[in-house]
Amino acid sequence: MITFWDVVGRSETGPFMKEQDFDWQVGLEAGKLVEKYDIRYDPEQVVPADDDLADRVYQAGLDLFLELGIYCRDTNRLIKFTRDEVEWALKYAPTSVTYGQGRDQAVMVYRGVEDSTPPFCLCTPVGTSVAEERFVQMVQSYAQEPLADTFSSAFSQTVHGRPIKSGTPQEVEAAIWNVLKLREAARAAGRPQIGIHNLVSNAERTDATLAAVQADFGALPNDGLAVAATAELKIDYERLKKVAFMRHSGHNKYGLYGALMGGYAGGPEATAIVHVAYHFLGLLAFEAQHHCGFPLHLMQSCNSTRNLLWLISVGTQALSRNTRLLVNISPFTAAGPCTEMVVDEIVAIVAASTVSGADLDLLAVARNKHPERSSGMEARIGAEAGHVIAWQGMTREQVNEIVKQLLADYEDKIEQAPLGKRFDECYDLERVQPTQEYLDLYERSKEKLTRLGLDYSLV
Amino acid sequence: MNLLEQIVQATIKGDEEQCVALAQQVLDEGVDPVEAINEGFTKGMVIVGEKFARMEYYLPDLMRSAQAVNGAMEVLKPHLLEHGDGGTQGTVVLGTIQGDLHDVGKNIVKIMLQASGFAVHDLGVDVHIRRFIEEAEKVDADIIAASAILTTTMAYMPDMVKLLTEMGIRDKYRIMLGGGPVTSDWATEVGADGYGENATEAVEVAKRLMQEKRGGKQ
Repeated sequence: MITFWDVVGRSETGPFMKEQDFDWQVGLEAGKLVEKYDIRYDPEQVVPADDDLADRVYQAGLDLFLELGIYCRDTNRLIKFTRDEVEWALKYAPTSVTYGQGRDQAVMVYRGVEDSTPPFCLCTPVGTSVAEERFVQMVQSYAQEPLADTFSSAFSQTVHGRPIKSGTPQEVEAAIWNVLKLREAARAAGRPQIGIHNLVSNAERTDATLAAVQADFGALPNDGLAVAATAELKIDYERLKKVAFMRHSGHNKYGLYGALMGGYAGGPEATAIVHVAYHFLGLLAFEAQHHCGFPLHLMQSCNSTRNLLWLISVGTQALSRNTRLLVNISPFTAAGPCTEMVVDEIVAIVAASTVSGADLDLLAVARNKHPERSSGMEARIGAEAGHVIAWQGMTREQVNEIVKQLLADYEDKIEQAPLGKRFDECYDLERVQPTQEYLDLYERSKEKLTRLGLDYSLV
Repeated sequence: MNLLEQIVQATIKGDEEQCVALAQQVLDEGVDPVEAINEGFTKGMVIVGEKFARMEYYLPDLMRSAQAVNGAMEVLKPHLLEHGDGGTQGTVVLGTIQGDLHDVGKNIVKIMLQASGFAVHDLGVDVHIRRFIEEAEKVDADIIAASAILTTTMAYMPDMVKLLTEMGIRDKYRIMLGGGPVTSDWATEVGADGYGENATEAVEVAKRLMQEKRGGKQ
């Protein structure tokens, strides 16, 4: 058995290492494991149906985690684990997590490869920057989606007209405002007790985050907070402070991991190994109940590229086949709202994730960079595709063909992807509903997707 | 293959042992070390940077080549002044802005700037805006380059520009901004001189800013 406080203790006593040396080690060790386990990326098998490959990726991820451990940036020490400790943590890891209350309650459960259980849909603009006066409408557009099991936050550019700066009193004020406004949006959506999976996403400092997690502000006892690792396989005490708090408060906690393809790990094979290893980090250091991965292409800041789709699929299969962890994938698209390309990208990522065993964190568009470029429609597009693929009982082989056809339509456009429309251009803000233009565009895309094999009559 | 071409190839391969040996050969054969740097090591790193931008090379490859060149530079540096050129492309003070701990992008920019001949003073992560300015004053920097990946931390970038203005030293430095939520328009809006969408672009911007500065446009 290993506890959170054992992890904290090891952060003070583990072997010392310079951070730059750790960064080197990630690439070196992951590269060795690519060779040892003969892991090969095949651009034609974007969604591989190779159980043995998935199992080798899992073993490589576990080996990497045991070899490297976790790097603590506050102490420059390695937190190392034994195989028995990891296996013990996996054995007792949660296989379900409940969000929301009353009629808005939703339960995330373990999904396997080619599982017909529909994916749990955590719907969120992933912190897209938005004008203060449009914040509630933007997050409401996610909360009101019928397939949204939980929702979360955009990033208001100001609060009470003042910009938010990390480490200032305004950050505390903004974090509290965020929770108040999210619950207000839930009520406006007619779902007053829907779960909020990440209560505070506009504060970097832990003091501001914790100040906002109060029932009086609208936080439910089982709302959640994300705890994010930093690339690659690093943590710090700001993250662990949140964990220490949530162990007492009882709020749901989940890990956020964004392995960078092309970064310290190297190519898609090595980054898939690091992606798997992150889940052990989250389980042991954060006591995460579910795990949200958003592996990204270092140059394109999205995960709709061919090699990222492979990485997502093989990494998710590795975890779903060898553990009972609750694995989520967060799609990141290059294109922005109200474009045909964004629909293609969303469906490609969702299809690869769902059939491989993931739940969905829906979603970041326009590279999660451009203000006002996000809306609940993108979450709808992702959630509907995920449900259809699961309910149809699609196989990896079938999804592989669909994804390759979608890639053929958008792959060459990723670098110059269209920014799309702003939230106030593709939604009627009075009714908080998508414009007819966006609905028509989606209908046209669905006709194409139907021809590819998706049965939208199921949703 | 002549010596300069061998240097280019060794740099592309990231072979530190060979790069160091070739640097020694440069000295032994009386080749101008400045020429060896410009036409050999830097040229090789430009190719490495292009491969990295196309993701034919990944970050470990970039780091390996940079380390190989650093090894060679240790051999050549003592001899640069003898040849009348100990200078650099420019001096950059670099860091991730206060409150922000993300550094992958910043580290890549550092490697690429160094490979292009800039002297880089890397202050690390969570760097207070006053610290950027203190270091720039201390090392007589040309450029202050700040990175942010969080919307709550990029808000400090305009404060740095404002503080430099209030201190009456804004015109001494060129300011470059970059990172996840930072856009070109926003950087211009808050009074920066340049913005890099990625490391390759950051190097181009830094070179342009140095040309402007040396061209007397300050």
